[in-house]
Amino acid sequence: MSRRCIRAAVAAATFVAMAWLAPQPVGPGAAGQFLAVVEAAGPGGGSGAGGGQEADLPRTADGHPDMQGYWDGGPGNASHSIEDGCCDPIHARMQSRGPDRLGLPFQLIIDPPDGRIPYRQWAADKRVEFLFDMETPTELSHIDPEDRCLLNGVPRSNYRGDIEIRQNGSHVVMLYEWAHAYRVVPMDGRPHIGADIALFNGDSRGRWEGDTLVVDVTNFNDVPWLDSHGSFYSEQLHVVERWRLLDADTLRYEATIEDPAVFTQPWTLAFDMGRVGGEGYEFFEEACWEGVTNRRRLAAGRIAVANGERFMHTHEDPQQ
Amino acid sequence: MSKWSMPAVVAAVCISLFVALPSAAQAQSGSAADYDPPRTPDGQPDLQGIWQALNTAAWDIQDHRPSAGVPAGQGVVDGNEIPYQPWALAQKQENYENRSTADPNLQCYLPGVPRITYMPYPFQILQFSDRILILYEYVHASRTVYMDGSRHPEGHIDFWMGDSRGRWEGDTLVVDVIHFNDRTWFDRAGNFHSAALHVVERYTPTGPDHLRYEVTIEDPEVFTRPWTMSMPLYRRQEAGVQLLEYECYAYSEEELAADK
Repeated sequence: MSRRCIRAAVAAATFVAMAWLAPQPVGPGAAGQFLAVVEAAGPGGGSGAGGGQEADLPRTADGHPDMQGYWDGGPGNASHSIEDGCCDPIHARMQSRGPDRLGLPFQLIIDPPDGRIPYRQWAADKRVEFLFDMETPTELSHIDPEDRCLLNGVPRSNYRGDIEIRQNGSHVVMLYEWAHAYRVVPMDGRPHIGADIALFNGDSRGRWEGDTLVVDVTNFNDVPWLDSHGSFYSEQLHVVERWRLLDADTLRYEATIEDPAVFTQPWTLAFDMGRVGGEGYEFFEEACWEGVTNRRRLAAGRIAVANGERFMHTHEDPQQ
Repeated sequence: MSKWSMPAVVAAVCISLFVALPSAAQAQSGSAADYDPPRTPDGQPDLQGIWQALNTAAWDIQDHRPSAGVPAGQGVVDGNEIPYQPWALAQKQENYENRSTADPNLQCYLPGVPRITYMPYPFQILQFSDRILILYEYVHASRTVYMDGSRHPEGHIDFWMGDSRGRWEGDTLVVDVIHFNDRTWFDRAGNFHSAALHVVERYTPTGPDHLRYEVTIEDPEVFTRPWTMSMPLYRRQEAGVQLLEYECYAYSEEELAADK
């Protein structure tokens, strides 16, 4: 690693540290800071794009960064809303954490810069319908698939809870504590499965670009949502994940999301994860389906709709 | 045709076209002593790959005659006898009578161990230095078999799939499993256990494409003595074969949710 790269990395680390310590920016504009961090690091300096080799990372026997262990996944209420769940004060209060303790100095969606999902108009309209239906569900499809214990898909699985990563050369495995879900990522360069096979978690193929684990994910069905706010996609979804250790205890995750049927452009979300658990830490079985019930929720929704009650999901504070 | 049997029949027939068809000697006698399995880089016997049972144990682990949608089958219980206590034998018979609605498997619940092994879906073994993962296509069940000498957590804990701690005895992977709930059956025929279930699994490579799978079942609340099952497991051979998904409850969610 060149001195120039080291300087860039130190500059980036300093910048991140300052951003964490500074009063937390909220809303549009915050992404700009994150992008600035990436640019400050520069190609080969840890941007993830350059494929450079970092000197001080833990490594597996085959020389790749060792990401194994338990990670805390995406931040705060990202699984509730990837647009608002990170940084606005109302979502922060939902998780009893002040906006100064959200754990991220930037919004989750880093591209486009406004932090919003670039829906096509029809899709934006459909999403608003979801925001109404979820308050008074009359069909199962009105209820967040996560609340029905359906697999969360990609990238949502990565911001729904703790993640265990295992690497053995031929495969990378992600085990999710939520609903004992898992993904197996073959690293042998094999092609994706046939296009007619649609899966909740899609079909993952991994490769190393320098120290970055790049996972190409296709073959999705259109059932999971990206968050509880009804953010959805079609079977044309294509996700490229980039997993990169910033240091031994920080894992940066980026996912570029492409679905020309639903979105006007590819877009990217990103966050950092930290390690969880200590010596001897283990996941316990979380049997989701075995305990879930949505029957009463549907019954209540049907009564409400019959009484003409229909309103949009919002976090506006009635006290204000 | 009963609603639960057809997909499994189709799956079993399809799989039988693709799995390695072993010679009787290879699969049945499985003399492990004659076979020196490949090793992982850290020296463990390499059991990795995608495996599947090819038998009728998911319907009935004992000998059974054919019935609508269920092929006849030679059981996997050694000696074919399950040593139930008298009250438990009556319970098993009641379970059998009500099996078309009472089998917890019909609710798409996690099937427990060892039933998950002989359901007609593939599973994948992945080995690491301190643990072995067994990942199942059926309802994305996953097990971590800790190989670091750690002990079972204090309990009792009601896990559907139990808590698995493993060790090597020669080339045999031995997995000790406790901390079960009492809500799973061993098969559609109503064979059952209590939360006191203690399972010991033994996975022995008998050739490049075969494992001998032996299970000891111990449950002093239900049985008069421990008993055993054994069967071969077959490596799936298709080029590019991988685990897909069988999200059981997603395909009849409306109907199942109405009952919960």
